[in-house]
Amino acid sequence: MSTARNGTHNFKVVLLGEGSVGKTSLLLRYVEDKFNERHTSTLQATFLNKKINLNDKRINLAIWDTAGQEKFHALGPIYYRNSNGAILVYDITEADSFVKVKNWVKELRRMLGSDIVLIIAGNKIDLEHEQAVPTEEAESFSKSVGAQHYYTSAKVNYGIEELFLVLAQLMLQKFEQGSQTNHEASRASQVLIVDDDEPAHRSCCFNSSRM
Amino acid sequence: MPSLRIDQSDLKCKNGCDYYGNPQWQGYCSKCHREQLQRQRRAEKASAASASATLPRQEQKKPERGLKKSVSGFRVGDITETGAEKAGARTQVVVSLHSFSKFEEKRLRQSETLKKANLLKFSVFKKSSAEEHEQSERRPQEFKIPSMVNEGMKRDFRARFPQLPGQVDRDARVFAHSFIMDVIKCSNVMSVDELSERVQRQYQRFIRHMDTSQHFAGLEQDTKELLIDFVEKHVMTYLHELPGVVFSPAGTEDERADRALSERIQQLGWVGERHLDCDLDRSNAACRQQLYKAISELLGMDGCAAPGGKLARVRRCCRHVLALPGPPASADELLPRLIFTVLKANPPRLVSNINFVTRFCNAQRLMTGEGGYYFTNLCCAVSFIENLSAESLNMDKQEFDCYMAMPASIGGSAWAAALSLCACAREAEEQRAQAERMLQQLHEIDARSKALADNAASFEEQIAKKVQDVLAKTPLEIKPRRELPRFGKFKSIAAAPLIDIDTPTSAPDPAPTPATLQLEATPQHTPNELQKEHEIPVVETTVVEDKQEILDFQVLEKPSPSKSPNNLDEKWDLKQTNSMELLTPSPLGFTPFDSRSIDELVTPEDFGTENLAPGLSNINYDIDLSDFSGDNSLAEDPPKSEPKDPFSPDGIKKEFDPFAPLPSRSEYSAILETFDEFSLVDARNVSSEAFEVVHRGRDPFSPVLTEQTDPFSTANQHTSLLDDKESPTAECLLPSPLQPQTSKST
Repeated sequence: MSTARNGTHNFKVVLLGEGSVGKTSLLLRYVEDKFNERHTSTLQATFLNKKINLNDKRINLAIWDTAGQEKFHALGPIYYRNSNGAILVYDITEADSFVKVKNWVKELRRMLGSDIVLIIAGNKIDLEHEQAVPTEEAESFSKSVGAQHYYTSAKVNYGIEELFLVLAQLMLQKFEQGSQTNHEASRASQVLIVDDDEPAHRSCCFNSSRM
Repeated sequence: MPSLRIDQSDLKCKNGCDYYGNPQWQGYCSKCHREQLQRQRRAEKASAASASATLPRQEQKKPERGLKKSVSGFRVGDITETGAEKAGARTQVVVSLHSFSKFEEKRLRQSETLKKANLLKFSVFKKSSAEEHEQSERRPQEFKIPSMVNEGMKRDFRARFPQLPGQVDRDARVFAHSFIMDVIKCSNVMSVDELSERVQRQYQRFIRHMDTSQHFAGLEQDTKELLIDFVEKHVMTYLHELPGVVFSPAGTEDERADRALSERIQQLGWVGERHLDCDLDRSNAACRQQLYKAISELLGMDGCAAPGGKLARVRRCCRHVLALPGPPASADELLPRLIFTVLKANPPRLVSNINFVTRFCNAQRLMTGEGGYYFTNLCCAVSFIENLSAESLNMDKQEFDCYMAMPASIGGSAWAAALSLCACAREAEEQRAQAERMLQQLHEIDARSKALADNAASFEEQIAKKVQDVLAKTPLEIKPRRELPRFGKFKSIAAAPLIDIDTPTSAPDPAPTPATLQLEATPQHTPNELQKEHEIPVVETTVVEDKQEILDFQVLEKPSPSKSPNNLDEKWDLKQTNSMELLTPSPLGFTPFDSRSIDELVTPEDFGTENLAPGLSNINYDIDLSDFSGDNSLAEDPPKSEPKDPFSPDGIKKEFDPFAPLPSRSEYSAILETFDEFSLVDARNVSSEAFEVVHRGRDPFSPVLTEQTDPFSTANQHTSLLDDKESPTAECLLPSPLQPQTSKST
């Protein structure tokens, strides 16, 4: 769900990934480093708003953390419904978590198509010596699914800022792209809608004239 | 073919699709009906554009008219039926519908335009069909939104946005009004999803309006969002109350889902934190407290009408859940805990609530806000509970089945008990607090009552003191003196002239005069002495009591103006004597009943300086002048005092008293009154007679001797008097001969 009202874009971003790969830490690191962030004082880091300026555009990121446990995997669709971007986090020291990311990507592409911007984040890069997921594999997979791949470390605050910035940029691009094509599409659909609900339209006019 | 039996196919959509039709929708299912409507409108539009062009096609008219007769509106099915000539070929219709849809469309359009033409020609049809068309649209328009909504909005707006111009308020209200109307209008023709879409479009419309209208030009984005929330709140609060419109709407499974979920949660009562992998400290009181708060918030969700309010509840609930002690809160923790909370809370109508929010909450808010996030988590929790299985709890399938087979009442860990205890403890705490509050109030009330009592006591003292002061200030001797002489005078002086006039040699005269004289002669006497003097009349009172009673009767029976003052005076007399006894010398005793107290207040000084003589004369004059007729009664007064004297006739007369007074008096009262009216002089004489009669009952020794003689002589003008004397029984009979004639006859 995104809108551009008064130049402010609202984007919804979900953090997906296996449990204990560091989604929450990533989020906390990203948001807590900003002094003007409202939520810093509170401990909770499940849902955070982040306002950034990009290309003279105000962007409001609503970042949703999700439960990563396997048993909640089925609830994914409820979380990522209507989201503009997804950050798929895996632990570079655990190969399983990357497999999980693959599953997520497949599911997202299946459910949301290309409407969603995907970023794959290999977290815990500070533990590079324990890397279990080869970089080449991650990169190639990312490319194959049209996603960006980044290495991050919440612990040492590496690559997180960049990751979100790129994500915001991509989402903005997609939005602007979408709005162009959407415009036509929506116009077409609008015509249909007008036909659909003639009384509604009339009432709209009537009411607006009254207003 | 009309038949009584309704076939299943008759209930189905006329269009032949497998769904059931609805008579409200002209026998179509909702989908077909809508399509039908659309087509109809389109055709109407097209026909309006090309009405003139299509007019000449007359040959199609016939079938068209037939169609119109058979049904109102235009139904694809019917058209094809008329085309096929038989109704039995429904399947054929379906086929034809699918295969010849294009053709159908064309025909429909043609028929539509033709219909228009027809309508132009036959205005009769026009009217009826127009009515039918409008009926469905007109009905909802008759619906009025209670002004309460409007008023509530106005008030709320002023409270929440005091800085915004009234124009914004008006716009918001107008919009809310149209919004509600629109939803209500659409609610019975649209499915829930369509309605939801429509509501969302309404939100969008309002946003657009705010962006374009100059009324909202200077507003911040945040304010605009608040305004949307404001409108949403009021609209949805109202719609929420309407049954089956937006909240668990008709035609949805919401209610059943509610029940199912509730039962399921009950069944899952055994699921504890252990199964959900959430670390909750059982023994931690703070943990329980938080959990309890979360549960109460969740339970409160059903009570909120507006989606915003429900979201706020969910948000608070989740905040409490996150605040639970344990590892740093993250989404990994939040969800299991929330699931646990939901399981323990088992909130009422949860599915309905969730659906309501999802459908009719401003989607913008739901998708981006924090409330939306928590709400999504709640949805996840519910979804998880619905699909809960052995695997999702990481437990053996068999064990799970065992648990599930177990009656709900047995299930539940210590947690459930602990939670209920928690609730009870909380309640107890609240009650204790309330009890304390009440105790405090009680103390307060107690203190106040004491203060009040003190106040009253002091007030009493003050009053007593004041009274004392007043008593001290006003010479006590004078008042009683003034009072008593007066009555004495009344008696003596009023009586004296009477006696002088009527019977100069009356026995009563000497008796009262000494008393009065005494009173008059003792202005300088001390109160005690006065009291003693009063005691003399007191002795009388015992006898006079009779009089009093009788007097009362008199008053009741004949309220003749001439007599009443005298009677009253007599009464006063009696009372005074009584009161004087009781109240001792204090002047207060006189004041309450004495309307002439003003005179007294003035007079003391006068009398203090001057002596009895002037005072007496004054009063005498007054009374003498005022009433001559009244003298009679007063003249009779002395006899009252006489009863002291142990005269033999007394007893005889007294025997009569109980019987005599009423009839005799009543009898004479009539006469008396008439006499009074005639003339004072006459009244004097005659009334005296009357009074004698009156008093005779009581006092045999009435001042007027002539009358007294009457009983003895029995030779009298008044037959009644004779009767009186004859026997008590005769008197008893007398009441009937109120008129003298009847009495004579007897």
